[in-house]
Amino acid sequence: MWSYAFRRVLMTIPTLLLVITVCYLMLHATPGGPFDTERKISAAVLANLQAKYHLDLPLWQQYLYYLKSLLQGDLGASFRYADWSVNDLVANALPVSLAIGGGSLLLSVFIGVGLGIIAALRQNSIIDYLVMLVGNLGSAFPSFIIGPVLIMVFAIWLKVSPAGGWNDFQISYMLLPMALLTFINVSTIGRVMRGSLIEVLNSNFIRTAKAKGLPMHTIVFRHSLKPALMPVVSVLGPLAISSITSAVVTESVFSLPGLGKLIINGASNRDYTLVLGLVVLVTVVAVVLNLLVDLAYALLDPKIRY
Amino acid sequence: MKKTMTISVLAASVALGLGVSGAAFAAKVPAGVQLAAKQELIRNNGSEAESLDPALAESVGANNIARDLFEGLTATDADGKVVPGVAESWKQTDPTTWVFKLRKNAKWSDGSSVTADDFVYGIRRFLDPKTASPYATTYGIFLINGKEAAEGKKPLTDVGVKATDKYTLEIKTPYPVAFMPELVSNTQLGPAPKQAIEKFGKDWTKPGKLVGNGAFVLKEWLVNSKLIIEKSATYWDKGNVQLTKVTYLPIEDGFADVKMFQSGENEWVYQLPPGTYAKYKAELPKDIRNAPMLGLRYYGLNAKDPMMKDIRVRKALSMVIDRDILSSKITADGQVPAYSVVVRGTAGSDVTSYDWAKWPMAQRVAEAKKLLAAAGVQPGAKIKFTYNTSEYHKKMAIFAASEWKSKLGLNTDMENMEFKVLLKKRHDGDYQIARNGWVADYNDATTFLALVQCGNDQNDNGNCNPKAEELIKQGSQSQDAAKRKQLLTQATKMIMDDYPMIPLLQYTVPRLVKSYVGGYSTKNPMDRYRNKDLYIIKH
Repeated sequence: MWSYAFRRVLMTIPTLLLVITVCYLMLHATPGGPFDTERKISAAVLANLQAKYHLDLPLWQQYLYYLKSLLQGDLGASFRYADWSVNDLVANALPVSLAIGGGSLLLSVFIGVGLGIIAALRQNSIIDYLVMLVGNLGSAFPSFIIGPVLIMVFAIWLKVSPAGGWNDFQISYMLLPMALLTFINVSTIGRVMRGSLIEVLNSNFIRTAKAKGLPMHTIVFRHSLKPALMPVVSVLGPLAISSITSAVVTESVFSLPGLGKLIINGASNRDYTLVLGLVVLVTVVAVVLNLLVDLAYALLDPKIRY
Repeated sequence: MKKTMTISVLAASVALGLGVSGAAFAAKVPAGVQLAAKQELIRNNGSEAESLDPALAESVGANNIARDLFEGLTATDADGKVVPGVAESWKQTDPTTWVFKLRKNAKWSDGSSVTADDFVYGIRRFLDPKTASPYATTYGIFLINGKEAAEGKKPLTDVGVKATDKYTLEIKTPYPVAFMPELVSNTQLGPAPKQAIEKFGKDWTKPGKLVGNGAFVLKEWLVNSKLIIEKSATYWDKGNVQLTKVTYLPIEDGFADVKMFQSGENEWVYQLPPGTYAKYKAELPKDIRNAPMLGLRYYGLNAKDPMMKDIRVRKALSMVIDRDILSSKITADGQVPAYSVVVRGTAGSDVTSYDWAKWPMAQRVAEAKKLLAAAGVQPGAKIKFTYNTSEYHKKMAIFAASEWKSKLGLNTDMENMEFKVLLKKRHDGDYQIARNGWVADYNDATTFLALVQCGNDQNDNGNCNPKAEELIKQGSQSQDAAKRKQLLTQATKMIMDDYPMIPLLQYTVPRLVKSYVGGYSTKNPMDRYRNKDLYIIKH
């Protein structure tokens, strides 16, 4: 298993290089640059700025320069936020995103799997329909609708929670955004869990277990849960990425200083280094999460060996 | 508005003639107003400051913070009036020389004195090509060799700024700059703390390291979350500073901004989201504040375009847009119709208008149709309008297109794009008609005239009127304020008669500020509110 993991990690290097290259070229091909502003700067000032950020070099030299700093762990200077390096910006935003995204994901797994099990065991009952209704609502309503409604109810009417902002990991500021992300994630996890458990419960080995007279809780928890969790684990990778690194709407609705906000601002400001830095981060997170998911398969399914 | 400004300009002129005494001007709390025990304010700033280095501050938000942390030779108060800053008096000793006497009790937040040398260092650093300030040439042109130094063509030591003694600064300009006292209120042209910059390098603007000379000091800065400043213990006029702590928020989403205001976590909505002014005016009448500022919404007409190069076409397009309906029914947020590149309240030029602006619409349409026919443009012809994606711009554009369609029979292709792409297209002159806007850098007509002057970086429309250019030049050379104003007004009129643009509306800033925030004036044409001038009323 370790050699498999090692090979997988090695394979990320070409992936990362490809992603950086494509993203680099795309960013530079986008019309408008970091210094195109409402007040057009004079040619001389533009030259000063380009020299400061090495944009006066040929593109391939800039690219090599970037790769070199990247190897040294330096994501470069932000074009927009002159006082900060991309490393600073990411280091400030990552804990916020991890707390909100990671926390809500953890909650969603427990709630989503729990609800999925209940719904599957009571298939076509009123409980099942309720769970499915919640699941469909979570998928159907976009976060930019649910978010403001949550703020309206809990912050403005009931006044039990702040309407947004961030205060040094103070839990009250994290509740609403986490609730929103959890609601959305639970809808996915719950539906996947329900479907997958129903399928497992209808399979032959469960029928055998039932015929042997095993009690229901043993059948569910010892024999069905593991295989039924496989599809859930598969969706966890993408869900984690979207909750942690690209919770753009949630962050904007709740004015959170996370990674999603940086990505959007970086792209609209043509902050090349910031966007590239975040792309590198997202790629690494994606590769690691996918690896973890694959390794988790081996734990859940005895047929899979690495 | 216009009257007030004339008075304030007069006051400034009087001040510059006589020299100003060093009286304190800030946070005058009117008699009878009871102050709250807690003098703290949370104010949204609209976006994250790109830098706290006054030389690099470019956006409105960054400049707001810079004016709290730093102070230039002068400052502007809540009414937009020029008041002494570090300089306690100033004098124009000859047409191109200004002498500023600095107060001896001005201190940096590390306790050291602010001296004339700090200004020399600050201004040279601002112009230094290595600093790469986006404003370097914008303000550099007003100092002898300033522009040349910013372009790296002359050494920084040749720039017209000199410390004649520890507390006297002399500024030399290439031509008479009447609005110098106002110009130097911009912190770009202020002092810089050499001691801190040399000690901490690039990190000197971080909390714990930043040394400023303003009424406030930096306490905390979390990017995209908040920036906290506290009252400075070393500021020369600290006795007149009421607020002890101000939290700046960087919220861009207007709706999130308003929600935090309603829930009490924000006391100052940066700008109301489009289309909500009437609603909040009715719901929160005590908190709503709305006043015109020195800014213009306009549509640029590309004189290099085969169709737009005909002045008759440009004129016809401008004539038929009903600004009154646009302002009262379409944008409906208090903005005022505009017919000139220079907006109301701007010093240095009168606001010009077109004769047809007073005509009934039917007459305007008939005339416009004649102009189009003469230019050979048939009804059914296509024009192309380019704007950046935004509900607000879209609403205005649909109105303009419907005016052109219903009154002239022209079909408008509407092309929307991301802001940076539009900027690129405008800068490259790759458009026919494009949405545009401008907010004054300083209160003088020249900041607006830059939009239409020959060869100016800000002139996107490619129009050039050499005769008007000559008048502007003469006006700039003139020392007589009345004469200068007359020449600039004449030039403005001439340029507007070329129809390089379609002026539409003068900006206003509709916002919510809690009624207990005192010191906020609706007569502030530059929309610059130093926290020094604000206070919290007992509520």
